[in-house]
Amino acid sequence: MRILVVEDEQKLASALKDGLEADDYTVSVARTGEEGFYLLCKQPFDLAILDVMLPGRDGFEILSTLRQQGLRIPILLLTAKDRIEDRVEGLDYGADDYLVKPFAFPELLARIRALLRRGNPQAAPKARVADLEIDAANHIVTRAGQRIELTAREYDLLEYLFRHQGRVVSREMIARDIWKEVARQTPLDNVIDVHVAHLRRKVDDQFATKLVHTVRGLGFVLREEKKP
Amino acid sequence: MIELRFLPLRARLTLWYMLVLGAVVALYIAGTAFVLYWQLSHQLSRFAIQDVETVEGLLSFTPDGHLNLNENYHNHPQSRLVLERMVEVLSPSGTVLYRNERLDGRALGGAILPKEGVNGYSERSTLLSDGTRVLLVSRRHILAGRPIIIRLAYNQKPIWSRIEELLTASFIALPVVLAMAGFAGYHLARRSLAPLEEITSRAEQITADNLRQRLPVENPRDEVGHLARVFNSVLDRLEESFERLKRFTSDASHELRTPLSAIRSVGEVGLQKSETPAEYQDTIGSMLEEVNRLTRLVENLLEISRADAGQIRPGLTVFSPLDVVREVGAVLDVLVEEKALQLRLSGDADVTVKGDRLLFRQAVMNVLHNAVKYTPAGGTISVGVTEHLGFGVVHIADTGPGIPREHRGKVFDRFYRIDAARARDTGGAGLGLSIAKWALQVQGGEIKVEDSVEGTAFRIQLPAVSAFQPKMT
Repeated sequence: MRILVVEDEQKLASALKDGLEADDYTVSVARTGEEGFYLLCKQPFDLAILDVMLPGRDGFEILSTLRQQGLRIPILLLTAKDRIEDRVEGLDYGADDYLVKPFAFPELLARIRALLRRGNPQAAPKARVADLEIDAANHIVTRAGQRIELTAREYDLLEYLFRHQGRVVSREMIARDIWKEVARQTPLDNVIDVHVAHLRRKVDDQFATKLVHTVRGLGFVLREEKKP
Repeated sequence: MIELRFLPLRARLTLWYMLVLGAVVALYIAGTAFVLYWQLSHQLSRFAIQDVETVEGLLSFTPDGHLNLNENYHNHPQSRLVLERMVEVLSPSGTVLYRNERLDGRALGGAILPKEGVNGYSERSTLLSDGTRVLLVSRRHILAGRPIIIRLAYNQKPIWSRIEELLTASFIALPVVLAMAGFAGYHLARRSLAPLEEITSRAEQITADNLRQRLPVENPRDEVGHLARVFNSVLDRLEESFERLKRFTSDASHELRTPLSAIRSVGEVGLQKSETPAEYQDTIGSMLEEVNRLTRLVENLLEISRADAGQIRPGLTVFSPLDVVREVGAVLDVLVEEKALQLRLSGDADVTVKGDRLLFRQAVMNVLHNAVKYTPAGGTISVGVTEHLGFGVVHIADTGPGIPREHRGKVFDRFYRIDAARARDTGGAGLGLSIAKWALQVQGGEIKVEDSVEGTAFRIQLPAVSAFQPKMT
């Protein structure tokens, strides 16, 4: 999968490049609007990440020109403006998604995955990580063949982690997608932490291999840690 | 020509004084002239009527049939008018029977008018052939068995010359009077406007740096004193909002600096030590935690500045506050259990209020979250929903340490924390309650700290929509 990052801020651009390459994407970086426009016209990409505030031609301008020329690939806008009108404007110009700076990197990855799959990733009816299994059709969770009773919230949380298994999900993503909390100011962090602690108690406590991990400063991840 | 409205106020006032005074004086003069004319005319006509009777007695037919007027009956006439009277006597058919010397052969009044002199006296003003205006009185009379018409007239010129004298004298005096009034008016205007100029020059000296200064109020009851008081109260509010802005800026920079300095120190120390990858990850994670705190703070500040700028318009709907309280309770339930607290939700599900549900939910969330945060393990939080005096009221009371009385007025201030050290551990920046406050105010609601025996009690209210309200037809 080839991704073009159009971003003039050098630190952010190289962080994005490194982060995306670590997630097995092939990444090109353009530092100006003109360069980005040129690359998008000449080379095939699967997705573009476009900063709105660019020297020369800004993101909105490039976006609308590209869409007029019939470029169909998904485009994700990055911006420091987060008024509702700005979001609407970006989507009107033909953006597929919109992320406000500063954003959590796991969130960017999740959005990219969603855009590339066109739609939210649905958990398979049955999925497993190590010996933890989830049966989404019947809402049944088992570990090592043993049934685990979860509350509705804990189940939603685990199912969400399964959907993004192997990847970090941030507290913001959880608050938005599971608690449906739109206001970013709502103090839900400790609520989420306590729910994750409960989930971990039920899923991991009696087993040697821990599957639900906290990544400090980032969020949570469901994966089987490879022993070094 | 200079336009009137560009002149200074006192010049305009003076001009208006003069204009009004001039008009009043001119009206007065005209009125006086009219009254004078009326009185003189009346006097003249009364005299004329008396004189007609005198003339009747002095008329006689000579033996040869001519009419004669004996005007030489006295040597000392009572009035100059008697000497100036003009007399003409006509027969009913219009034949001139007599004209006195004063008429000098001129006709007096021309052809006989219908009903002239019938039943008493008829009066009119008329012109002689040489243009002299006269007052003419006519009377029918029977002399020696023959009907005659006596016409007697006085020259009206003396009346007009009296009026002319009056007008001339008045209009010579008028400009002098006006000039005096203008002079006095100008000085009066300047004196009464002097306090205004004083205020202006004082106000010009007040800038953002010396907002403490106030204008002098000499007489609080008059208009200028009123202006000065109003101006001073504007200055009070201005000074207050400047103070608030200054405090907000310094508080905000302090709050922003705290996570920044943590990031910086953790990063610097981490770089100087050689650590294992796991330790580096921990260092970076710790820095990211501070970044998250910073991000949330900036978002809250943005929200507040938007609210200050009036950019947030509440979308009003009708909803049940108990539903919202239950929703928030369900979200926070896990924290309540974790701390072994008791959360008691009660109230009337029929109470409905009008407001912005999201903003209301945020306010309830912030207050209840605080209660959960500050109530020690084993405590109780009670939330009740009632309707009181047209308001849907949510009471949130806890058994925590409570808010000292002296802090109660300030808990809604931005960045205000009762105990800065304690709150920092739990992650608040002191914005939750101030956000709750505007979130309610913007939709016509209110939040207050209530007196309570123990713990903290908040009262949140929104205008109620009664279920039993009659439908508008």
